[in-house]
Amino acid sequence: MNPVLDYLRERRTTIAAYALCAVLFAIATIHSSGFASASNIRQLLVFASFIGFAALGQTLVILAGGLDLSVPWLMAFGGLQLSNWTTHGMGGVLGIVLVVAAGAAIGLANGYGVAWLRVPPIVMTLAVGGLVQAYLMSIGQLNSSGNQAPRIAESIATDRLGPIPVVALVWLGFAVAAGVLLSRTALGRRIYATGASDTVATLSGVNVKRVRLVTYMLSGAAATFGGVVLSGYVGSTYIDIGAPYLFASIAAVIVGGASILGGRGTYWGTVAGALTLTVLSAMLPLFHLDTADLEIVYGIVILVGVALSRLGANALQMSRRGGGEEKPADPEVVDVA
Amino acid sequence: MTSTTVDTAAARPAVPSLRRLLANSGISLTAVTTATILIVLAVTDFILQPALLDVTELGYLAQTALPLVLVGAAQTLVVLVRGIDLSVGGIMVLANTTTAVWVGEQGGNHQLLVFAILGLAACAGLLNGLLVAVGGFEPFVATLGTWTIFNGLALKVLPTDGGAPPPSLINFVFGKTAGIPNSFLVLAGVFVVWRILRASKLGTRIYAVGADEERARLNGTSVVGVKLFVYALAGLCAGIAGVLLAGVASSGTPTAGDPYILTSVAAVVIGGTSLAGGKGGIGLTMMAAGALVFISDIVTEVNLETWVSVAASSGLLLAVVIVRSLIDRVAERRSA
Amino acid sequence: MTAGIADAAASSAGRGGSPAGGGAAVNGLEITGLRKRFGAVRALQGVTMHAQKGHVHALLGENGAGKSTLIKILAGVTRADGGTVTLDGAELRLGHPRAAAAAGVRSAFQELSTIPELTVAENLLFGREPSLAGRVRRRRLRARAAELLAGFGLERIDPAAPVGSLALGDRQLLEIVKALREPPRILILDEATSALSSEDSAWVLRQARLAAERGAVVLFITHRLAEVREVADRITVLRGGHDVAEGATAEFSDEQLITTMLGRRMERLYPELAPHAADALLSVRGLQVGARVGPLDLDAARGEILGIGGLQGQGQREVLMALAGATPWSGGTATLGGEPYRPRSPEAALRERVALVPEDRQREGLLLTHTVRSNVTLGALRQLVRHGFLDGRREGQTAREGAARTGIPADRLGALAGTLSGGNQQKVVLAKALVGEPTVLLLYDCTRGVDVGTKAEIFTLMAQLAAAGTTILFYSSDLSELVHMCHRVVVVVEGTVRGELAREDLSEQSILRVAVGTEEVAPA
Repeated sequence: MNPVLDYLRERRTTIAAYALCAVLFAIATIHSSGFASASNIRQLLVFASFIGFAALGQTLVILAGGLDLSVPWLMAFGGLQLSNWTTHGMGGVLGIVLVVAAGAAIGLANGYGVAWLRVPPIVMTLAVGGLVQAYLMSIGQLNSSGNQAPRIAESIATDRLGPIPVVALVWLGFAVAAGVLLSRTALGRRIYATGASDTVATLSGVNVKRVRLVTYMLSGAAATFGGVVLSGYVGSTYIDIGAPYLFASIAAVIVGGASILGGRGTYWGTVAGALTLTVLSAMLPLFHLDTADLEIVYGIVILVGVALSRLGANALQMSRRGGGEEKPADPEVVDVA
Repeated sequence: MTSTTVDTAAARPAVPSLRRLLANSGISLTAVTTATILIVLAVTDFILQPALLDVTELGYLAQTALPLVLVGAAQTLVVLVRGIDLSVGGIMVLANTTTAVWVGEQGGNHQLLVFAILGLAACAGLLNGLLVAVGGFEPFVATLGTWTIFNGLALKVLPTDGGAPPPSLINFVFGKTAGIPNSFLVLAGVFVVWRILRASKLGTRIYAVGADEERARLNGTSVVGVKLFVYALAGLCAGIAGVLLAGVASSGTPTAGDPYILTSVAAVVIGGTSLAGGKGGIGLTMMAAGALVFISDIVTEVNLETWVSVAASSGLLLAVVIVRSLIDRVAERRSA
Repeated sequence: MTAGIADAAASSAGRGGSPAGGGAAVNGLEITGLRKRFGAVRALQGVTMHAQKGHVHALLGENGAGKSTLIKILAGVTRADGGTVTLDGAELRLGHPRAAAAAGVRSAFQELSTIPELTVAENLLFGREPSLAGRVRRRRLRARAAELLAGFGLERIDPAAPVGSLALGDRQLLEIVKALREPPRILILDEATSALSSEDSAWVLRQARLAAERGAVVLFITHRLAEVREVADRITVLRGGHDVAEGATAEFSDEQLITTMLGRRMERLYPELAPHAADALLSVRGLQVGARVGPLDLDAARGEILGIGGLQGQGQREVLMALAGATPWSGGTATLGGEPYRPRSPEAALRERVALVPEDRQREGLLLTHTVRSNVTLGALRQLVRHGFLDGRREGQTAREGAARTGIPADRLGALAGTLSGGNQQKVVLAKALVGEPTVLLLYDCTRGVDVGTKAEIFTLMAQLAAAGTTILFYSSDLSELVHMCHRVVVVVEGTVRGELAREDLSEQSILRVAVGTEEVAPA
């Protein structure tokens, strides 16, 4: 077997996600050349980056075989808490660091419940998300200055470095870091192993609980940071600001080629998923399609994407069957002598 | 063997005898705990507002519980066969908006149209079933996809809140029959239908498939058939929820479905139905849905802010799952 | 019998000899040329047998001889690749469990088919619930189940109890009652007595006999020869997917049966074992794992290959899993190289350099969707980290070394583990266990479903490791492997060590004698 081919085959779903994104982009550009303008591309990158932040932790959690439904509330938490602290004079970089740390702590609670208390991920993250929501509703009332987004968040979200938006660069940095984490560190390997089979991982000496805990923690941190940036872009924050990102974060992971059961996928695939979703939503108006159509198209993209990656998995299954799944002792033992 | 059973019984007399007592009366320990939660909340609410102890008042309360109970029932069915259905919200709004627009604009034969809409909802559920049971999709992914498709279709039918559900539907939802609020009758109807299903052969098949698909197959069950039925029935329930919601709100709301998705999961879990399938039932979910409704009613009554209600529901969910998981672990350790 | 089968049989051990000719046999169950393969493994290679109505017909063979595949085909769980099954001259269609049940095939499976979440009554009458307009009549269901149980003298089982709350033995009995709730045409009892006390076993044998007297074909599968003597009219012996002997029970002596089951073996498969050191490396005292294992004592010396022998399911798996840190200990102590040893997780065990090779490579051993390379290095990630990052070069090197050591083709390192053949998959699991340079290697049935060539390689590797001072605890469901690959074998029966055999006393017969014995194994 050719190692280059193996490498490509291993990443075929990621490659397919980028191909899909490129095709959509090409279609939109052919239809209306303004789609490929610098300002539009910048806009697309900024919008995609919000999905990207929300889906960063989601990718890690799903890769390890979990699911994080608290993402939208953590995004709201990022914006509102920072805004709240800023009015109390604790904004700036320190504020961001603290709020992201707090988000990580909330993620820690998710991870603890899932890994140690063995609460199903859907339930644990749903409950924690609800508690965060309740907390935000309570501080929302106290926040007298309105929910103005802090300056620092605004500048991250809207500044540019040359022609490139700062958010996009930050996102790129996150993507590189996540890519390195997943492919070049022991933790990354353990995340994949845990998601592929926690039994095998445990028997191979992986501390599955700790791995899960870390993924939820990172998810909490990334979503909170995403929320800060998003609030900066919007200019103000409100409690439902993260709502669309529950669906978007999971959809980006799935369209990016990861398996919802864990163990397969990459963050670079999710990046492609986030770009695809963004391009789709931006191009539909060109074809006089509205939000309703967009939702329908999203659904179809998810189902078709999964069907395609299942075809690949089936091919694997076939060859696995060739590996002999039943255990009869070898008959030849008798005769070979 | 026999001696083992006797030994363990002798070692731990208190709990097993309670269990035995409950088992003989056909009530599970889970049902008792869920009922306790419901009763405590109900009694609290009654103490805070004695006016609630009135058929009409209770009827209104039951009305607000209707959509959640029905979506919860849909979710329970799917969870019983080890699935999850995110599309209940989508099916719900699809039925809701079509009721508000199609039926409302149509004069004359409302009933028939409503039945057609419910048929549509069942077909939507069947589509989920086909994707999961025949197509082999993960339930989460399949219903995530169909959820947004159904949502989109609902938005096409009715882009913003509005429409006019038929007056007969509104009258039905707010009305009484023989002095009993119709909302009670619907709740009772759901429970009775569920008990009939539970008691039928098909009911046993549903539990068998949820508990262990391979063994169910070994015992001659058509796993695909059971799943198709369950998803279609879930679609039907979600559809009824949407139609009733149109009556309760007196308008169509294309965005009303989303909050119900996760709340229905919460109700299922608080009720005590296992996400691992094969354990629980709609009766439990109904009680949990009731508990959630009482929580928000209490919060409104005491004039607390809404966040308290959200915190209390989430806290209840968290407390219930953690306590159950700890109990399971103790039981596991004992049996080991 | 067809010529091909006769050849296959002739090439192996002495056949009991049976006059059953193809033409005469229209009465009863006739299996002709039944074939089934799973990937590279041919589980059934044209099995032909005849079982008469009114007879209890014992089906004997080693683990992996093809018995379970055969009965799974009869029960409609698996589909045959070829061959015919006829009952009283009419061909049976067995595509689905329902079809098999409709044809009158009833089976009591070794892996219980009752659903723990349902009650005894619901399980017993599954598919036959008394109902009125689709509604199950619960009281009548319970009454009928009680009646059914009473009919079998099992009043002590409560029809309202969930099956999951019953003891394992009672669940096994239920399995049989379920199979017998309507008179079967073919009754299959697969290891139906394996979890039972002698009293309950006797009950099972009575039921088998009764069913036969009522005109059923009874296929009886067991490891206990005494039971065969007691109940079976005729015997068919399977070996390696062939039927190698068929005849009346009286025609066989115990020794004959054992030799026929085992066949003659290739001695060359097994390497010479070097003598081992005298000092004990691993000592286990009073190990208890749940209710099924213990108290159990073990001592293994440096460089020793210690066989953990016995029949299947006597607690060998639990012992090895506990030593690997995968199952919590409920009691006991152990020392490893003089230090106390009680791993709380496989991670901890691996840190003490105790590594496990589990039996089920698809579920426990391998990440099938990952590359061979990342599978091999999964157990040694800690050693491959430099400045916080995985050292790709070192990882590649480690993987290549592991591959070379276990004989995985080097060009397969980038392939997904799931695409490998069974033999190579097992080598990957071995390589993964070896990258941490274990001092104790726990091998649980690691040669199951592996081709001969790979087996020979694994055995050679075992001998080399032992010679280099690694202590190996080895369980195999294939007795000849224990005989040839162990310095010493402890025979485990019901979670405790029943006997110990030194190398010079080792033979398959001697192990079987301790494990099964002619004497009845008393319940603990």
